[in-house]
Amino acid sequence: MAGSRIGAACLALAASLALAGCDGAEREAQRAADAEAAVAIAEFPQQVLWGDTHLHTDNSIDAFGFGTRLGPEEALKFARGDEVTSSTGTRARLSRPLDFLLIADHSDGLGAMRRLYDAPRLLIRDPTLRRWHDMMHESPEQSQRAVAELIDAAATDSLPEAFRDPEGREENMREIWDAHLRLIDRYYEPGEFTPLAGFEYTLMPGGNNLHRVVMFRDGYARTSQVLPYSGLQGPIDDLWDYMDAYEEATGGRTLAIPHNANLSNGLMFELTDSQGGPMSADYARRRAMREPVVEATQIKGDSESHPFLSPNDEFAAFGDAGWELGNLPLTERKTDTMLAGEYLREALKRGLSIEQRTGVNPYAFGMIGSTDSHTSLATGDEDNFFGKHTGNDPAIEDRALEPQDLGTEVGRFGWHYMAGGYAAVWAKANTRAEIFDAMMRREVYATTGPRMTVRLFGGFDFTEEDWEGDWVRAGYSRGVPMGGKLVDEGKAPTFMVSALKDPEGAHLDRVQVVKGWITADGVLHEKVHDIVWSDMGERPMARGKVPAVGDTVDRETATYTNTIGAPELRAVWTDPDYREGESAFYYVRVLAIPTPRWTLYDAVRFGIELPAEAMADAVAQERAYTSPIWLGRADPAPRAERQAGWFARERFRG
Amino acid sequence: MTLPRWTREPMVHFLAAGAALFAVFAWQGEPADPASRTIDVSLEDRARLALQYERTMKRPPTDAELDTLTEQYVREEVLYREALRLGLDRDDAVVRKRMANKMDFLAQSMAETVEPSDEALVKWLADHPERFAREVRYGFDQRFFADRAAAEAALGRLRAGGAVEGEPISLPLSIEDASRSRAAEQFGEAFVGALDGMKPGTGWLGPVASGFGWHVVRLRTREAGEVPPLAEIRERVENDWRAETIARRRDEAYALLRGAYRVAIAR
Repeated sequence: MAGSRIGAACLALAASLALAGCDGAEREAQRAADAEAAVAIAEFPQQVLWGDTHLHTDNSIDAFGFGTRLGPEEALKFARGDEVTSSTGTRARLSRPLDFLLIADHSDGLGAMRRLYDAPRLLIRDPTLRRWHDMMHESPEQSQRAVAELIDAAATDSLPEAFRDPEGREENMREIWDAHLRLIDRYYEPGEFTPLAGFEYTLMPGGNNLHRVVMFRDGYARTSQVLPYSGLQGPIDDLWDYMDAYEEATGGRTLAIPHNANLSNGLMFELTDSQGGPMSADYARRRAMREPVVEATQIKGDSESHPFLSPNDEFAAFGDAGWELGNLPLTERKTDTMLAGEYLREALKRGLSIEQRTGVNPYAFGMIGSTDSHTSLATGDEDNFFGKHTGNDPAIEDRALEPQDLGTEVGRFGWHYMAGGYAAVWAKANTRAEIFDAMMRREVYATTGPRMTVRLFGGFDFTEEDWEGDWVRAGYSRGVPMGGKLVDEGKAPTFMVSALKDPEGAHLDRVQVVKGWITADGVLHEKVHDIVWSDMGERPMARGKVPAVGDTVDRETATYTNTIGAPELRAVWTDPDYREGESAFYYVRVLAIPTPRWTLYDAVRFGIELPAEAMADAVAQERAYTSPIWLGRADPAPRAERQAGWFARERFRG
Repeated sequence: MTLPRWTREPMVHFLAAGAALFAVFAWQGEPADPASRTIDVSLEDRARLALQYERTMKRPPTDAELDTLTEQYVREEVLYREALRLGLDRDDAVVRKRMANKMDFLAQSMAETVEPSDEALVKWLADHPERFAREVRYGFDQRFFADRAAAEAALGRLRAGGAVEGEPISLPLSIEDASRSRAAEQFGEAFVGALDGMKPGTGWLGPVASGFGWHVVRLRTREAGEVPPLAEIRERVENDWRAETIARRRDEAYALLRGAYRVAIAR
């Protein structure tokens, strides 16, 4: 009797909670669709769009625990250019707004930390969770300690049961995901500012970072039909199954962006499949289709190149220090043999090797930069760095010197953090669909922060005369843009490259083409060509190298002058080493003149002295990496425009 | 139906919410005085316990489990009141923080769900035009030069009606109807700042400095940014209204309470 009355009261309570605004989402979807339809789509990309595809808010379990109290709404406002107040009370604003933003909160324990924080203590049965609950309420220091414990537990597969329970997780997640999707639809202004739906899949077997950001092309009507996919143990194929299922069920589209390959201890770009077996053509095709773009640079280091793999490249060590010591929580040290599976240039080469064997290149990816900031603030600029997380935001004086909680004892320090980068996208309009499609065709590039405008076209008949006319149109009509593929027809490829400096930033030092190729005997090669640089008359190449551009940085004041370098560098370049039948890739690396890193700005602002090692690293050459253009045989089976569910169908057939 | 203005005041809402909460407690027989030794567990209380259990465990509790939960609740209530009697709440950082959070939440919760009226949004738009005004838009021609002297020489030639291409750089020679932020993204803030100081239709001017070098510029059009009607930007206005109203209610509620205190801080 009493039981049934209580049941009825429960129902009433639950119903009143669920009632809030189902019609709101529909109205919102209609508004977004109308606004999208009104945006003009250009014939070809005219203006590069800037964004961050990897931002965490207080919905991320670690961000919240580290003290972030800004949510997705503040993140959106900040990204579109509004001023917000950081979690520690500092006023924060971007010098220039971003065009798009993907809030990628960790799917594992999405909102769990906030829930644990808000939960009635009475109902927390698990002693570990109860302790974390108390620590979070006690003080910021204790809260950070709780998160460090949590990340260790996740990396060693020993999270409390309540965090892993799939059913309990689902309801928490449903509520937060739903609210999040509604919010980003409300802030979507097609043509002006585009929030994309997505999440971070935090696959981390044994602490080896195999994280992916998952991006959706779609709005609430589709994305609300699924929940973010979680699971720390993998294999990665399960994520692709999830993506297939989403596309099959909703007619939507999704892609995944691997990041921090530099912390994967060799697992991100293996020569085998995820189970350790030989990589099949099907597996390779699936990986390439699902993961068309990789994050090359972010706060936790730069994964483009490593001096061990590229000993002839004097610029290869950028952003490697500290991160090269081991995996993410430093539970396992790194050995040199692991590096080849971690750095993107080598992965692009491995792709050629696997392609030679199987006919399909699994690692035909484009490159972007992002922040991976855990502060809700997508800051990629050195002079406006709000920290990896709230525990090292700019209010904290000696953040550059502090050992980091993860792996304190083996030497990763605050100064090893980069300021983060941005994703540059050559889209035909600022809409979800156009940004997503540009990612799929890899017409994107990475920068370490500065907003350089970089164009790259590959073809067979470009000449210097093309600069005289509408060379962008010529690039598209007589060649392919970055991310594209040229079919080998027995003629050396020619590239049209233009790099324009950030109008608010530093001049450019040089533009390089990085070529990787494979010879018929299966041997991989790479070569970095300086194709154009500033003051070429006064700076002639000596023994195959262009002399250093110089350094105007004043260490006392953290300032530089644009008295060296050039505002724009452009060139038409033909590969001098071309041999018919050798598959190759070509990507562009642009180097700016030396400028202060965030550590030097901090040192001057707070009047602190950096240790020698950090000081040597306090000035750097910011850079951009374009997606490659590949040269090779015609693809045996051209990629269909839509391949939703392709793999599932193929597998059932075969 | 129009309500008097005072009913829209957040402070009134806050006080009303407080009064309602008090009424609920009074109606439930919850003792206003923690010193009371009567504990009534109502059906609503038990329903709440059952629902919380269900949210965690994904199934309703059995009767036995609900009795256990109720027993736990009573036990905690007893110990809680005894702790209050002993004054244990006063030196516990966790309790203090948690209760402070609850007060904040109370103040802002109403603004999270309420649907603002059109009038409220029209007023919001009128009060904050600068947040919603469209950007200024420019149409101009420009020629680029690395050196100031070359730009000055070119300016003379252009004014005399000559044709000048400028030095090569990947910037458009002519821009139609670009928003301020787009123009700033391409040419930089200093350049766009200089456009603001020019009068449209006055021919070639300059040289103007940018991050790239020097430009001579002919500003053709400058359209002031107007405030669009509410219907076109309702979502933006509502987002802004909601976010700010939540923050303001929280601050005002605090200010109201804070006003009743005299705080002395030893320095």
